[in-house]
Amino acid sequence: MADGVVTTGQRNAAHRLRIDADPESLEKGLVTLVLALVELLRQLMERQALRRVDQGSLTDIQIEKVGSTLMALDAGMAELLDHFGLTAEDLNLDLGPLGPLLHDGR
Amino acid sequence: MAAEGGLVWMYGVASGDLEVFADGVAGVGGPPPRTITAAGLTAIVGDVSNRDYGEAALRRHLEDLDWLARTARAHHAVLAAVAGRGPVVPMRLATLFASDAGVTGTLQERADDFRGALNLISARSEWGVKAYAIKPADPAHAAEEPGRPVAGRESPAAGPGAAYLQRRRAQLTAAKDARSEALASARTVHAELGRFAVSSRVYPPQAPDLAGQPTPMVLNAAYLVADERASQFAAAMADLTARHRFVQLTLTGPWPAYSFVGDGPGPR
Amino acid sequence: MTGPGFDPVIQGERIALVDLLDRVLADGVVIVGDVTLSIAEVDLVKVSLRALVTSVSALMDTMDDSQEYS
Repeated sequence: MADGVVTTGQRNAAHRLRIDADPESLEKGLVTLVLALVELLRQLMERQALRRVDQGSLTDIQIEKVGSTLMALDAGMAELLDHFGLTAEDLNLDLGPLGPLLHDGR
Repeated sequence: MAAEGGLVWMYGVASGDLEVFADGVAGVGGPPPRTITAAGLTAIVGDVSNRDYGEAALRRHLEDLDWLARTARAHHAVLAAVAGRGPVVPMRLATLFASDAGVTGTLQERADDFRGALNLISARSEWGVKAYAIKPADPAHAAEEPGRPVAGRESPAAGPGAAYLQRRRAQLTAAKDARSEALASARTVHAELGRFAVSSRVYPPQAPDLAGQPTPMVLNAAYLVADERASQFAAAMADLTARHRFVQLTLTGPWPAYSFVGDGPGPR
Repeated sequence: MTGPGFDPVIQGERIALVDLLDRVLADGVVIVGDVTLSIAEVDLVKVSLRALVTSVSALMDTMDDSQEYS
């Protein structure tokens, strides 16, 4: 190294979610990952459903069906979180420059 | 003098006539800090090994949150110990030199810059202010919003599915409105606090899991405030907290003036 | 920090790491949500969540841009 200055301002500190092979930690790590993605899709579908309702492009029967299904999904998600001892915030993985995975307010 | 295979870690630079004591504070990487004086300035430095703090090692370490945490706190501890005695220009993490001669050279070459920075921060402190949107009350129990029936055109009757969608719409709209209000409050808070500061700096908002708060951060700022105005600044904070219902405000400080001393003595 | 007469709001260990890192790293800190799968401490697979969800997030943003429910 030349007789100068090295200043580093590294931006990305990887907080690696390490999943080791012991059954418990593996399950928990993978479950977090999987549920985070399921939750992302659930929120996406919910917002899309609301948009379709506002556009008036769904019949009353369709609205009821979509709403009931989404409600069941929401309840199912809550059950899964409870079963694995996770909170909604646990799923909100930080993607760095893309920001957090999920919109605030589940 | 730096040992063979050693590097010099710089913590900060103070005026040459400041008596620097960092009593009993362990530095980064072990040995306690020492000083190097040149050009009427005193650099507070520490000896670290090339093996653990050379470029390759640093690249690895800077991606390790545990290492970052330990090192940042050790770095800060030295500055906090010294800063009680007078202004110190704090360096960012990993400002390293190959030898003492490098430090001396930089003090001499950049003496004006260092003195300018010392002048800026003299008798002033940095205060950090963060604002978070406040989680809106769950509108699920509120009365149904008139004029926006979920069930469509004529029929107001809502089965459980439709009612669920109605609730979700209300929650999402409330969250969106809360965020807009919070952002407006943040702008006002920043403008008001800026009046008490010589300088201010805005950082990007912290991610929720880092910040430890579930609601979005709408302001993450640092203010350089004259020590004699610190109580006015604190009073302004209390006043703003009372007046702005859409944000939660937090205050940290006083900090060494990390945010107001530029990018350090790196190559220009 | 030289002024008398006001109590420090933060001291020592009570400094939040994220606030410190904002200040001592030149560009602040970004925690990358990557997942490393390892067995017996040997890193085997690194899953980049950014790559995985980019298209979904982008879709979400497109929807939010139409202003309804961000």
